[in-house]
Amino acid sequence: MLLASMKNVVFGYGDSPCLEDVDIEIHNGEFVAVTGPNGASKTTLLKLSLGLLQPWSGTVARASKRADGKKLVVGYVPQQIAAFNSGFPSTVLEFVLSGTYARGKWFKPASGEDRELSEQALKQVGMWELRNRMIGELSGGQKQRICIARALAQQPDLLVLDEPSNGMDTDSRSRLYALLGGLVKERDMTVVMVTHSLSEASPYLDRIIELEKKEAGGWKCCTTTSCKGHFSPVV
Amino acid sequence: MEMLHYDFMQRAFFAGGLIALVASVLGVYLMLRRQALMADMLSHVSLAGVALGALIKVNPSLFGFIIALIGAVVVEFVRRSYKTYSEVSIAIIMIGGLSTALVLMSMNPGTNRSFSSYLFGSVVAVQKTEIYLVAGVALLGALFFYGLRKPLYLITFDEETARTNGVPVNLISLLFSVITGMIVAAAMPIVGVLLVSSLIVLPAALAIRLAQGFTAALGLAMLFGLIGVFSGLTASYELSTPPGGTIALTLLLFLVVGIGIKKFAVKWRKQHSKLKEKSALINPIYREEV
Repeated sequence: MLLASMKNVVFGYGDSPCLEDVDIEIHNGEFVAVTGPNGASKTTLLKLSLGLLQPWSGTVARASKRADGKKLVVGYVPQQIAAFNSGFPSTVLEFVLSGTYARGKWFKPASGEDRELSEQALKQVGMWELRNRMIGELSGGQKQRICIARALAQQPDLLVLDEPSNGMDTDSRSRLYALLGGLVKERDMTVVMVTHSLSEASPYLDRIIELEKKEAGGWKCCTTTSCKGHFSPVV
Repeated sequence: MEMLHYDFMQRAFFAGGLIALVASVLGVYLMLRRQALMADMLSHVSLAGVALGALIKVNPSLFGFIIALIGAVVVEFVRRSYKTYSEVSIAIIMIGGLSTALVLMSMNPGTNRSFSSYLFGSVVAVQKTEIYLVAGVALLGALFFYGLRKPLYLITFDEETARTNGVPVNLISLLFSVITGMIVAAAMPIVGVLLVSSLIVLPAALAIRLAQGFTAALGLAMLFGLIGVFSGLTASYELSTPPGGTIALTLLLFLVVGIGIKKFAVKWRKQHSKLKEKSALINPIYREEV
């Protein structure tokens, strides 16, 4: 099932386009990495796919329902989101529980199921022991992990992560990629992730979307590479 | 409790208590959205409405209320143009509102004296109609903040993530601005235009520093706001000082003392844990020597 697609998309800030000729398709159950050098508009690409930005031209489409007719749940972990909100007066558990708010039921108190999902998500990222700590007291890597836990507590069908392993050590990064790879396999979840750590993520990836610099005008375009456990770094 | 035998003090406590509860919760959200000065801005803008009402001789309070609501909606649209610097929108609207108020007031010099009650508040002179207005605003505010507490949490933390989660961010932000305008307009008779932000910002500022969690921050803000207003009113009655200024000073005192106690507690805890570590290191050696 096609979850998201972009056709001939052009987008830019100010007068000059930073993304051009973007043609991407994301299918259900895929683990896709987006890569490219700094300033290659990777985050912009994610925001376009999520509908947070509107393209200058071309079409961006995203499925609103799953194959079984239920609402498609989208989880998003923006780049370094936790770093900007270190003074937010919230405990780790409250924060992760807020991931379940996206499942609707705004007027009802958090249910037992919501709490179970939050507990499970915190355990998956190894942060359950710190559930009663204030989020501002955590390290950069820990903050990143609870942001991922919050997205997982949503039980998303499509999970979009922007450099989720920022601030994490090698061991934590490997565990994160293994966790995401497992969720893609077991839950049929679709993951789209911006990352620079391709060699660590490659055993779990289905595809790599690479942003390249165009020769004329310095614009970027996309190429996709098949990948599953035999990735060789792009020079 | 002799003061509670007077009708005007009963009304002051009732109106002050209701506004304190809802304004403190509003303050927590405003602070976290980096819009702490919005209350100040709206109160100054509403002064333009009061001046216009006085000039055309139509209920100045009603005009102040309406202009506060319009200002709240306008600031939301300007904020969307300056996402990274949301305080810029506040500065822009405040300049527009205050300068309009000054020009309108200069065109109507005869009524300048009556502006003092708008500037400094007169909670003990609150009338029944104002009580109904305060009660209505407090009820609407309570429904809004309780009913939409989940999407408000998401929006306050990060608007982009909230948007991808299907939260109608623009609509809720607009409603939030309207509620802010209503609370500010209703709080003006209590502490006046110049000090209205004290009711909104000070309890929230203390609660955010002390609370161990988001729900706790909201609860503490309400508690500090309520105690601050009641203590301020009592002190004002006993000392014969202006109620608005006394309430604001009481809340400021709470903030300074509260932050001081927190700093002392953190320092004491650090020293205590260092002593524990030292004694844990010393004790085994001491036992070996014995």
